[in-house]
Amino acid sequence: MSVVVADRLTKVYRVAEKAPGFAGTLRHFFARRYKEIVAVKDVSFELEEGEIVGFLGPNGAGKTTTLKMLTGLLYPTAGRAEVLGFRPQDRKPAFLKQITLVMGNKAQLLWDLPVLDTLRINAAIYEIPEAEYRERVRRFAELLELEDVLTQPVRKLSLGQRMKAELMAALLHHPRVLFLDEPTLGLDVNAQSAVRDFVRTYARENGATVLLTSHYMADIEALAERVIVIHEGRLLFDGGLKALLARFAPYKEVRLELSTPADPGTLAGFGEVVEARGPVARLLVEKTRLTEAVARILAELPVRDLAVEEPPLEDAIGRVFREGRVA
Amino acid sequence: MLRKAAAFLSVYYAHMTVYRGEILFWLLSGLAPFFFMAIWVEAARHGLTDREPLAFARYFLFIFVARQLQVVWVTWTLSEEIKNGLFAFKLLQPLDPFWHYLAQHLAERGVRLPMILVLLAVFLWLYPGALVFSGWGPLFLGLLASLLGFLLNFFVAYALGLLALWLEEATDLYEAWYVFFMLFSGYLAPLDLYPAPVREALFWTPFPHLAYLPASLFAGAQVERAGLAFLALILWTLLFYLVSHWLWKRGLKRFSAMGA
Repeated sequence: MSVVVADRLTKVYRVAEKAPGFAGTLRHFFARRYKEIVAVKDVSFELEEGEIVGFLGPNGAGKTTTLKMLTGLLYPTAGRAEVLGFRPQDRKPAFLKQITLVMGNKAQLLWDLPVLDTLRINAAIYEIPEAEYRERVRRFAELLELEDVLTQPVRKLSLGQRMKAELMAALLHHPRVLFLDEPTLGLDVNAQSAVRDFVRTYARENGATVLLTSHYMADIEALAERVIVIHEGRLLFDGGLKALLARFAPYKEVRLELSTPADPGTLAGFGEVVEARGPVARLLVEKTRLTEAVARILAELPVRDLAVEEPPLEDAIGRVFREGRVA
Repeated sequence: MLRKAAAFLSVYYAHMTVYRGEILFWLLSGLAPFFFMAIWVEAARHGLTDREPLAFARYFLFIFVARQLQVVWVTWTLSEEIKNGLFAFKLLQPLDPFWHYLAQHLAERGVRLPMILVLLAVFLWLYPGALVFSGWGPLFLGLLASLLGFLLNFFVAYALGLLALWLEEATDLYEAWYVFFMLFSGYLAPLDLYPAPVREALFWTPFPHLAYLPASLFAGAQVERAGLAFLALILWTLLFYLVSHWLWKRGLKRFSAMGA
């Protein structure tokens, strides 16, 4: 049975429009005009127990709106959401005890108090027995390397430590379904990696289902085998990472090191120039013409080294969004 | 339930101690009754009323105490949290957010109370004889009226704060309530000095019972129709509880439909 079901989920916001200036203000006051914004349109997918799924899309694609509908913060305008057999918008305690939502740009920790104080409040709210609470705090602190900072006020922590502590607070009740919205936003590489490792370990140990949005493709590559892509509120793709690349990135990246620099005009004759810095260049070449292009490069350029690789995932996704290739 | 209450009160007490400086300044900003006291004591000294100067000192001292026990700021907190999105986190917990806000206020009272006691000691030194013990009965009834007054203020402020789910700014609305409180509660002058028709008209409003009732009880003064005054206080508290409950349900529907 699917743990998370989105069935033709649609969300339409009604937003008041206001022209600038005094006249606009008067008109806004006496004859307000509204416009409907379709944030999410007919999005359908299902998540099975224990799956970690990347949820991708550019800013404004409808990712956060979808997560809010699945956590019960927003009513769908149309369609159906179901999580663990519950209708999220009913916000039944039995449902809320089994889910969590982490937002990288919002903090739930009590700013002026040590992390442990927020954890104590959460332990009381979720009715976690004292011994169990202590064990979970110990285990999480060990995994996240936070043992030494739990008694420090949250405002004294680094951004990375704060995000780790947010995760501790959000997962203390051992939720079965995790909705993670940009959990690594703004973190340095080490902190991103620690957060990813923690989410992976938690999901594996608890059989948790995770729906993760991130602008850092490293997060998606490290955690998710399956990705769902939405664009302008519509589902664009749902499948494996490799299938995503095959469908939307029918390119290979050719990395070149030349003995003498070649001008970008010459390089463009072999493929799309992604980077040309002195003797080093990166080209995107269509897979169907790869053999021919490599043969020409070797024949016509002073090549010292040549490597053919899959292009970085963010480049591939970025191209999909830039080109607006909605299925 | 007890564990929840203990955790909430202890953590929020710790939270409020961080803001002890702000609470002290807030308390000092509530010293207005002492200025009105000075005016009325002076008026009594010049024979402008038939009351003793000490009676005014006693009355305004207890107006100050009653007010301090009823201070609320939940309108501001709710309004802020709705605007900045923190409200959403509270909605994800299997507990009504109401309990967070109530616990914060009760914990704050724990920090404020010692400060009130220090101020009372200073006052006692300045006006010996003003602070009287009128017996356990009046003290209990004064505390009960203050508690009901706190709950009424809290539900009013909570209801007004929930309006932030519709309005861009809800905090000013509580200021309007406070103006009515100042004018009609006995905060500026003892209500028994108001003309009888005005007193009668005010009796079934909530305001006299928020300040005049507890202050008069604390001071051991004769309170006319005390039973009915308590009844009015209870009915208003109940009414605003129902209003806040209704706004909560309607507001959540709107929040869930529109987002924040």
